[in-house]
This record gives sequence, C-alpha cells and structure tokens, in this order.
Amino acid sequence: MEHLRTPKVENVRFLDRSSGQRKATIGTLYLSATHTIFVENNPESRKETWVLHSMVSSVERPPTIPAGSQLILRCKDFRVFQILIPQERDCLDVHTSLVRLSRPEKYSELYCLSFNPNVNKLEREESWNFIDIMADYKRMGVPNNLWVATAANSEYRVCDTYPSELFVPKTATPAIIVGSSRFRSRGRFPALSYFHQDTLAAVCRCSQPLSGFSGRCQEDEMMLQMLMKSNPGSDYIYVVDTRPKLNAMANRAAGKGYENEDHYTNIKLQFIGIENIHVMRSSQQKMIDVGEMRSPSMTDFLYGLENSGWLKHIKAILDAGLFIARAVADEGVSVLVHCSDGWDRTAQACSVASILLDPYYRTIKGLMVLIEKDWVCFGHKFSHRYAHLDGDPKEVSPVIDQFLECVWQLSEQFPCAFEFNERFIIAIHTHVYSSQYGTFLGNCQKERRDMRLRERSHSVWPQLWKDRAEYTNPLYKAELSQSQGVLRPNTTPYCFKMWKGLYNHTEKSTPPRQSPADFLSAVREESQQLEEELTNHQERIAALTGKPITWEKIEVPRRRTSHLRQTHSGPDPPTTYTDTITSPAQDNGHTLSSKPANQKTPTQDLSLTLPLRPHTQLKSPNPDDHSTRSNLESGMADLSSCSSSRRDNGKDPNLDEAVFITA
Amino acid sequence: MFSVKQTKPTFKCYLPPVQTDVKKTIEPPIKKLEPKLIQGEIVVNEVNFVRKCISAESSQDDLWGKLICTNFKVSFIPQDAPSKQKSQLSHLLLGEHDIPLTCLEQVVTANDTKGKKKVLGSNQKLKFNPTELILYCKDLRIIRFCFDEAGPESAKKVCLAIAHYSHPADLQLLFGFEYQGRRYHASKEEHVNGSTPRGGLRTTIFDRPSDWDREIKRTGASEWRVCSINESYVISLSLPEYIVVPVSLADQDLKQYSIFFTDQRIPLWCWNHPNGSALVRMASINDPLQQRKIYQKVFTAITKSHPQRSEVVRCDLDKSLPNIQDIQSAFVKVRQICVIDPFEESEERWLSSIENSRWLEYVRAFLKHSADIVYYLDGKNASVILQEEEDRDLNCVVSSLVQLMLDPHYRSLIGFQSLVQKEWVMAGHRFLDRCNHLKKNEKEESPLFLLFLDCVWQMMNQYPAAFEFTEAYLTVLSDSMWIPLFSTFLFNSSQQRAQHLMDFAKIKAIPQGEEQTVYFPPVWDWSQQFSTKDQTLFNNPMYVGKGAACVQNGEVKTFRRTKKNYSSTLRGMHGSLRNGLKIGEDSLTRRGSLASELKPEFSPVKDESPSERFFRDWFSRAADQQGLLIPLLLPSHMALWKLYFLRWVPEACIPKGGPITAYHKLSQLVDEIEILQSQLRQYKGPSGTMPLPNPSRPLSGQRRMYFKATSPTPTDFLTSSFPFTPTGNLCRRSFQGTPISKFLNGAKIWLSTETLANDSL
Repeated sequence: MEHLRTPKVENVRFLDRSSGQRKATIGTLYLSATHTIFVENNPESRKETWVLHSMVSSVERPPTIPAGSQLILRCKDFRVFQILIPQERDCLDVHTSLVRLSRPEKYSELYCLSFNPNVNKLEREESWNFIDIMADYKRMGVPNNLWVATAANSEYRVCDTYPSELFVPKTATPAIIVGSSRFRSRGRFPALSYFHQDTLAAVCRCSQPLSGFSGRCQEDEMMLQMLMKSNPGSDYIYVVDTRPKLNAMANRAAGKGYENEDHYTNIKLQFIGIENIHVMRSSQQKMIDVGEMRSPSMTDFLYGLENSGWLKHIKAILDAGLFIARAVADEGVSVLVHCSDGWDRTAQACSVASILLDPYYRTIKGLMVLIEKDWVCFGHKFSHRYAHLDGDPKEVSPVIDQFLECVWQLSEQFPCAFEFNERFIIAIHTHVYSSQYGTFLGNCQKERRDMRLRERSHSVWPQLWKDRAEYTNPLYKAELSQSQGVLRPNTTPYCFKMWKGLYNHTEKSTPPRQSPADFLSAVREESQQLEEELTNHQERIAALTGKPITWEKIEVPRRRTSHLRQTHSGPDPPTTYTDTITSPAQDNGHTLSSKPANQKTPTQDLSLTLPLRPHTQLKSPNPDDHSTRSNLESGMADLSSCSSSRRDNGKDPNLDEAVFITA
Repeated sequence: MFSVKQTKPTFKCYLPPVQTDVKKTIEPPIKKLEPKLIQGEIVVNEVNFVRKCISAESSQDDLWGKLICTNFKVSFIPQDAPSKQKSQLSHLLLGEHDIPLTCLEQVVTANDTKGKKKVLGSNQKLKFNPTELILYCKDLRIIRFCFDEAGPESAKKVCLAIAHYSHPADLQLLFGFEYQGRRYHASKEEHVNGSTPRGGLRTTIFDRPSDWDREIKRTGASEWRVCSINESYVISLSLPEYIVVPVSLADQDLKQYSIFFTDQRIPLWCWNHPNGSALVRMASINDPLQQRKIYQKVFTAITKSHPQRSEVVRCDLDKSLPNIQDIQSAFVKVRQICVIDPFEESEERWLSSIENSRWLEYVRAFLKHSADIVYYLDGKNASVILQEEEDRDLNCVVSSLVQLMLDPHYRSLIGFQSLVQKEWVMAGHRFLDRCNHLKKNEKEESPLFLLFLDCVWQMMNQYPAAFEFTEAYLTVLSDSMWIPLFSTFLFNSSQQRAQHLMDFAKIKAIPQGEEQTVYFPPVWDWSQQFSTKDQTLFNNPMYVGKGAACVQNGEVKTFRRTKKNYSSTLRGMHGSLRNGLKIGEDSLTRRGSLASELKPEFSPVKDESPSERFFRDWFSRAADQQGLLIPLLLPSHMALWKLYFLRWVPEACIPKGGPITAYHKLSQLVDEIEILQSQLRQYKGPSGTMPLPNPSRPLSGQRRMYFKATSPTPTDFLTSSFPFTPTGNLCRRSFQGTPISKFLNGAKIWLSTETLANDSL
C-alpha cells in the first residue's frame, strides 16, 4: 500500500482500445494494492473494469493535451487502455503509483501470495496435487525395464533447475549422470520427457554440451549410448539441436556448442533453426504493432505480418515438434532434444512433439499435465520470461506464447482433435502472466519449494478444471479417428494464420459468429435455456391446473457452455464477490474483467455455482446435441420432442404424450 | 501396369503352379481401353502408352494408359483401374482423369531432348515430336502427360487435336449444342409425355413476366411494375425481355430515354428493401448534354416509387472499384502463386506474394462497397442506383452482394441460384467473353463471377450458419463454368441465348414452343452432374433457415444471448469498422505507412458519421442469421479461399484435417437429429394429438446430409482438399537443381550444408 500515491481520481475518461471501443466513458478510477479499477459514472450500467497490476506491461504518459493528461496502459495480454485525467497532478500520481505497482521487486509483493480464493487449507493442499506428474509417467508405462526413476537429483544436488524426480535409462548409474551433467550447460543432463509405448522410442531433453571446439566427456558419451540402447528397436538416436547451426557454432567459442558426431557413436545430429529469445521478443512486438494499426490496408496487414516473421518462427517450432514426432512414431528412433540451456526451445519442441504423439495431451487435463511436466517441472524460467518481477528486460520473451500458439494452430488444422477450445489456451496464457496463482511463479522447482508456494498460494489447475465446461470444444469426440493417433499437421506457410483471438482483441467481440464450434456452443446454450423454460412452464401448468405431475420430472442438464459470460475476463472470475467496489478487498479475484455491477450476483451465481456434469458425458453422441438442432430447426414442436427423445429408451410411451399435451 | 493379383484357376491343373515370370508372358492381352462417351461425343484422336505424371519428383506413381481427344474432352484411361478413391466427388459426365476442352487454358507441348517448348493454338503446326504435354486448366489443375513410350506421330496428332478442338471457331461448335440436341431426343423417346414443366427446376429463371411479378410481390415493391418494352429485344440487345421499372414511368418515356443510355440499358430494378427503398442498376448516359435531364427524370421516378419519397443515391462503381483488367491480372497472379510457381519459391514469401497479387484487396473492396450500399438502403432508407459504364460487370457483383447481405432468401440454395440468374445471367453479364470460351479475345477475359463467389465465401467463412450451401457448392459451381453443357455460362446476353437456342432448336428439330430450360437446361439442375448422394455435399449442416426465426418470435423467445451476454462484449467493432467501412476513403491505397498506429492524441471523442454509427450499432447486436448480414472487413478478416485456390496443391493438403472434419462431425449430428425426429414423428403418428409438421416423410427416404450418423464412415480419407484430390491433378514441371534463393536465405545456408554433410556420411 505504501506505493499508492492516490487511491481515487474522479471524472476520468477511460477507453478500452483493444476492444475497439471508440467512445471514452467517464467515470472514477480507483487504485488498490492489486488492481486498477475503473467504474463508469453511467448509473444504469456502472460497468467496472479491473486491471491487475501485474498484468500491466507498460504505462506510457504521452504529452498533455488541453483536455487533461493521458496515460496508456499496455497489458501483457495485449489489451490497451487509454486514460484521460483532468488534473496533471493526479495523472502524475497515478502514473508513479502504477509504474511502481506494475513492477513488483519482490515475490512477496505478488498477487498470488495475497490472493485467497476462499478455500480452506486442506483444499489448497489438494489443489497442488491435482496434477500428478508421476501418474503421467505411469500412464506412459514408465518406469519399466528400460527406464527407471533416479534419485540422483533429489535435493537438487546435481542440477538445481531440474525436478527432483527424473527418469533415465536403466543402465545409467549415478556416476554417469553426475559425469554427464558436468559436461552439460547448467548441469542439465539428458532425462526422459516422453516415452512412446508403441515404438518404445523416447523423447529426452538436456542442455548443450560443454564441448567447445574439441572437448569431450566419456560419461556423456556413455549416457547417449545408453539412451540409444534403451530403445531396442533402433541402433542410433537423433540429437535435435533446436538452434540455428550458426548460433550453435558461435557457442563453441564460449566452450559450449553441440555434439561432435565423431565422438559419439550412432548419433545423427539435426539442427532445426528456432531463433533465440531476443529475436522472438522483437518479432512478437512487431506483430502486436500490426494488430494495433488503426486502419490498416490489406498491404499493411500482410506485409506487416510477414515482416514480423512471427508465423515463420511458429512454423519452425512446429517443424521441430513434427521432426521429433516422426522420428519417434514413424522411424521408432529415440530423440535427444536440446538448445542452449534446454529450458526454452527444448521445452517448446518437446511439448509440441508430445501433443502430436499422444492424444492424451490434446485433452483439457492432458494439456495441464503437459505444461506442468515439460515447462513447470523442467525449469522453464517463468518469472524471468514473463516479467513477474521487475528485472532484466532482456530475459523477457514470449516462449510459452509460442507453444500455446502452436497448439492453437494445430487446433485450426484439426478442429475435432482437441478437447479444449481457444478460450482454454488463452486462459492459460493469461494465468502464465498474471501471477494470480502460484503455479507459474519462480523459475524452477527448487525456487518454488524454497518460497513455500504450496503453503502460501494456490494452484491454477483445479480452478481451470472447474470451469472446463466453458473450455470444451463441442466438436471433440474422443473416439473419432482424428482425435487418436499421431497428428500430422501441414507446416507449409499456407496453413499458418494470425491468431486473432489472442493478438487482435478487436476480434474478441465477435466469437459467436466466427467458428462452427462457437456456434455449436451457442446453440447448445440456447437449447438448454429453452429446456429450462419448458420445465418451468410444465411446473407452472401443473401448479395452475392442480394436476399432479404424472411424469417423472425432466432432468435439465446443467452444463454451461458459458463463454457467453465475459469472453475475456482475465485470469479468473472471483469466487467470492461480495465486497463493494470502493473497498477492493484483497481476496478479490479480478485481474482483468469488466461487467455491469448491478448484475454481478445473478450472473456469477449462474455461471459458477451450477453443478457441472462430468465432462466424460460430452463424448458420447449426446441428446443435448440433438436437441440443439431440433430446437432451432422447427421451434416449439421439436422442443418437446427433444426432451422426450432424451427418455426414449424404453420408458413409458405415455410420458411423451403427457409432455405434448401439457406443452 | 502388371497386376500382381493371382489369377484364379478356372480348371483343375495337374501341372505345378506357373512361375511368375511365365505368368507375365501369358497375361491376358492388355484390355481394351475404351473411353466413356456421352451422347454425341466422338473420338477424334488417341494415343497409347502414355504416362500421366502424378508427382514432380518421381515417376513411380505415374499412371500408364491411353490419351484420347474427343469433341468434348481430353480423356485419359489408365491401364490399371485405380483403386476407387472414395474421397472424390464423382462427376456423372466426366471421369476422374477427364478435362472438358472448354476447361483448357493453355496447351503446351515440349520436347526435353531438343529443349523445345510450344504453346499450341488452333490449326497450328508442330515441328518437333512432343515428349510431353502439359495442360493448364481453367479450374487451376495442371496435368502433365509424357510420351516416352508412345508413338511419336500419334502423340503429335493427339496434341494438335486437343489444341485445335479447344479453340472452337464458333459458339455453335461448343459441344453442349450437340449433346443437348441428342439428349433431348433420347429423353423424348423415353417418356412420351415430355418432362415436367421447366424440367422440374425450382430455381427462378426470370425469363417470363410472372417470375418478376413474384419477385415484386415477395419484396413488397408495390410501386414497381413489370415492363415488356424490350420484348423481342427491340430496345436493347443486352437487357432481358422483361424488366421491372417504376410505376410512374410509362413505356413511352422509357423508350425515349433508352437512346441516351449505353447499349440502351435503361435503369433496371433489382430488389426492394422492406422499408421501401429500391436497388436499381443502370448503364451510363452517353450524351453529356442530356445527362442532367435524364438523371432527374429517373431519380424522380424512383423517388416516387419510394413510400417515404426518400432521396436516391447514385453510386458510380467505375470510379471506386478496380476494373475488369485489374481483376484479371490479380487472378492471374494469384493463380501463378498458388499453382504454377514452384512450391519452394512461393513458400518463402507467401503472404507478400498474396498481397502482391492484390486479389484479397479487391475482394475486400467489393465487400466494402457493397456494405456501404447496404447502409444507404437499410440505414438511410434511401434507394440506390448502381451505375457502371455498361452495367454488365461490376454492377453484377455489387448488386448481388448487396442482396445477399440484406435478404436471407438469397442465402438459401434456391434463392442463391435465382440471384445469379437474375443479376448475372438475365442482366447480361458477358459470360462468353469473360470466360473466353472461344479463346478469341484475351483482353475481355475476367473472372468476375469467381470474384463474386470468393466474396460469398468470405461471408460464409464469417457467418457459417447463415448460408444453406457450402463452399464445396461454390467450388463446384465455379467448375461448372468450364463444362459447356449448360446454358447458364455460355452466352453474353439473354438475346444471344435466345437467338442461338432458336437456331439450335431449328437445326435439331425441336418443336417450337418447347421450353429452353428443357431442351438446353441451365446448370441449376444438379442431377445432370451429380448423384443425389453427392449433391448432399452442398448442404450446410449449420444452416438454421427459418426455424430460428420461429424460435425467436415464438413464445420461447427467452434466449438471453442478445440482451445479457453479448451486448457488453460485442460493443467494440466500431473502432475497426470506422476504418473498415468508411465510404470512399482509401479504398485502394497501397503501401500506406504504418504511422496509423496509436496516435498520441486522445482521439476517441471524435464525432462519428451516421454510417459509422449504423455499422457500430449493427455489430453491437448479435447477428441474426436470418436478417441483415454485414461482413467484417478488417484485413485480418479476409482469408484466401483455400478450397478453391489450393485444392490441387499437394503441399497445402492437410491429411485427416481441415474444415471438412468439422463439417463431417456436424453433418453426422444433424443426420442423427433428423433420424430421431422422423422416428418420433412416426411414433407419434397414430395418437393424432399434434399436427405433424411433415407426416409423410419416410424414414428411409433421402437424407439431407452427406455423412451419415448411423454408418460411421472411417474419416481417414478426409483431407483439406475434400471433395477434390490433389493426386494427379497438379504436376508442375520439376526444376533442375534447387533454386539458389533457397540457399541464400540466411541461416538456412547452415541448415542445408549440414544436411548435405550428413548425407555424405
């Protein structure tokens, strides 16, 4: 609170530019310890917009104009807000406060350590166990007679950025692991990332070898030999260096570099050419600029998009994943992936490969597991890359953005192959940046343990799981052939497009008409409302006529596809929302959201407290889908028919008639 | 060529089984490869042992067979009947390897050993024996044949025949005339009673006053009348015989005015908005002295026909839209990028190449202009006159797009076909010249109709539930332009059609008074080309049709989508739309600076124009699929129509993926619903408590969806090119060596040398 220069400014003009809003609204601006809150003066709507401080990436103060002083707030989820404050004094105060508040210097200032989503201690501890990485290894069939868990890194003794539990070839002794780790940048020795049960080939990951121009290491060479041996089906392995070869060679001068094929027996070295984090950072900025252009011509847009190079980088990452997936699935050859430190490009390549290889990772839970495994556990530097704390701007780079975008691009090519929809991917993106939950805090497992995050914060995954109905892709069907097996995307430039949903917020305003999936969701929602209505009417008719309801009550499925709720309401809807706006309490869950204040209770209740049906029911051709269509197509008559069709299976035929008569 | 299948012994054999090499020699003689001919079709020339190239890299998948030139098509009959590909639409008149002669864009012969190449025209000589024949097709296919094993003379003859027959000297020589004549008489013999009136067509043709009358009634255009002054084309040769004009204009006035208009094309009514505003199209006025006077008279008459006597807005399309040459050159470029250029080269700079073609820019310009006109008609209650020099090109695109946006009727299949019939065929779009069927004048060639289809596709892409038909339908429709069997795309005007068909009827001894649509049917009778099952690919499973409106207006109007959920999120399109739709402003500026980014000044309080407000209001509401539809027009909303442009490109094909997989899933769902509904109806039948919506519909009858719910078909054959296949349909000539640009591309040098190094190990 000590950084708050002014808690409240009145008569502020506020413009959410990313949503394409044109007319500024007048209202009051509040600054709390965690949020910037704008409340419209308009007594009818009293719309509130909440911006979490940690979501703000920059606060600009353009020159003062006669009407007042301006601020431009740019957020990490690419939203842009323009604020006009009448008094320069106030503006300066707000600016200073925001600059400080948006750049926390210590972890303790972060929102996740004060955020309390109203759950008890037990539930919080449970939340951290929601995703179980060991269970996932078990699902892949590990440990087995080829791969075993190693205790070498317990207490993070060998490599402080690795998880404590790791899988290595059965033959790899602690001595070899330690030897190999000494020869690898930051001690990140080869460890198992994914095991493909069908071919027994594995995806392993590490960092670059400290080979320089001629250095070699017996243990490391043995380690790679063991990786190869642990796949009985092949007599060589691929070593995928995800960097451009030029970069890899440059690293040799610094005593690092890449494996010398003469020293290692039976490896095939492959460079993929994913650029480094600095190139990616500036590429993304260029693309954001394209999205922010106010009246772009076709030329501006297409040239801008091409010159940003962004889609080319996404393609490189997808290519890397595809190369690995093909090696593992088609050739049955194990792959060892590394880049420089093995926590950025390596994480991207391995996780994309896993998505391509394993249908499980294309489910809602599966994607969570994958991110937890390949990113969180394997020491992707979340806090540095996503600027959770004020630090070196050169460490910031949209690494996981690119992975998430790869997933999105895949879902565009295979619309029925993913259980989740675009909103789920965007929600993860937002949470990575928002630091509302502890999941993505810190740079490695050890750091998280030292911070005691499990005791002091909450895990994001159970929250996302709770909202899964909103994130479900209605076109997904687990048993469909497309959802199974290895995905083979096309990686020619024809098949990549700008991710409008993330980068071009203007587009966000039109999701319902954009994709068939969204349309289906909307229709589903509609039919559900109609069904509820029907039930109500039936009950009322029964009450009015005094006739006892002779048929069994129609069960209204409470599955909410409630993207109809604010589509982009920041990381998390509040779980408790009872405080008044003027005293933004600390347990308020808003990061970025806006909605009419006078409606808050009903809408929240509707969307959050309804019991959800288990998502497994979504898989079967389910009656809801039918009813959706029929309702739309022939109106009332079918409305009744669909509710009866639900109980078709061998129930009393009279029931249907009863429905008809009363309806 | 040689089947490895074991031949089944037909008698008991006491000898040991024959060795495989022996079997080869006693293999049954090469089966006779007979072309499948349709009525009136004759073989002109043929050559055996031809190799059809399947892939540019290797020849192992190539097909061997016979190449035949008939008076209708180029046909290739492979020796080995290929495994029946399920993933293709099968055409009833054309085989998998057939190309109609009218579909040929260019016939190229080459001799690799002599390093010679020649583009063949009509009646030309060829001084070398071709080793290769490459056919560039108007539907963007590129087909390559090799003659390395074929007789050089007969190969040459076939090439020359193909070139010759694809350049007909006269319209009457197009095969359709021969075919339809034969077909007419053959079908007459079959059922003596003649066919159903109009050949059972449900599409309105607009060649009789009653068709126009119905349209006037449908749109409530009470102040407009059908006028027959152009009967027998006495006024204008390019106008239809029956046109709709303001009630206040007498025939005499119209006759008087007509002389001042280009080609005597007096103003033509297109459509009426429910609010009374009319959409009218007309040609320009030749005489500058009379211009003012005529304008005034026409404007007054149109104003009088408006219930509110609202003003008239005149839009000069020539001034604000690209001309037909621009459009043609954009199309040529986009075709070059998509199918002709070697793939590696177009890959490097894909987006900028697309930009360079300017095709998407033009698509956007037409949509934008149409949206502006929608604003006048819907937002300002004003009647609009579309004016163009000849009123036969740009006006067709814009008027039909405007009607598509405003009137949901035209978004149904039948409605769409009627719209094309009304605004293109009857209004006198020069299909013959623009398609260049006779290959006489390339300057007149321009793909306006395709541009229109692309615009429709863009809207379909944005509003997937608003159209009854699919993109497969649009693609098939575009392909039908190149099959000369239907009267729709063969003529420049309805007068020309009438003239030719009258001559045709005389020659073919077709009794007078027989309907044109019967003896020379339009394309709209799809059963001519496709089976009923294949036609179901045209049906969009998401189309809600009128049922949705029923839900909205009926008792159950409780869907709170509009009120609660969307309004707050939807508010916001305006910022972009201000730019997307502002009238006349920078519609075609190029290479604009990027300086239009965030301006430092606080600009949002600028006044918005009425049209901006109109669009903002519209976008702030939930789109009613059965109401007005306005396309989103930011550059990021425009996409390349992949199914059309890239369906033959193997590199762009996504196996087991693409939008078709969503279509598949949705079709199955809809099919299941329909089965359940019909079961329910049957089940309810006897009780009689409810009026049944469609009681007689049999369960086993025609199904609306291509993909059935009950027999789950394996989806492995689905690709993003479905229902087409790139296999064998696009074979660019491979280049010697790798293009140098590939090596010079930055870090890729390292990648390439590395790969080479690995290879040498």
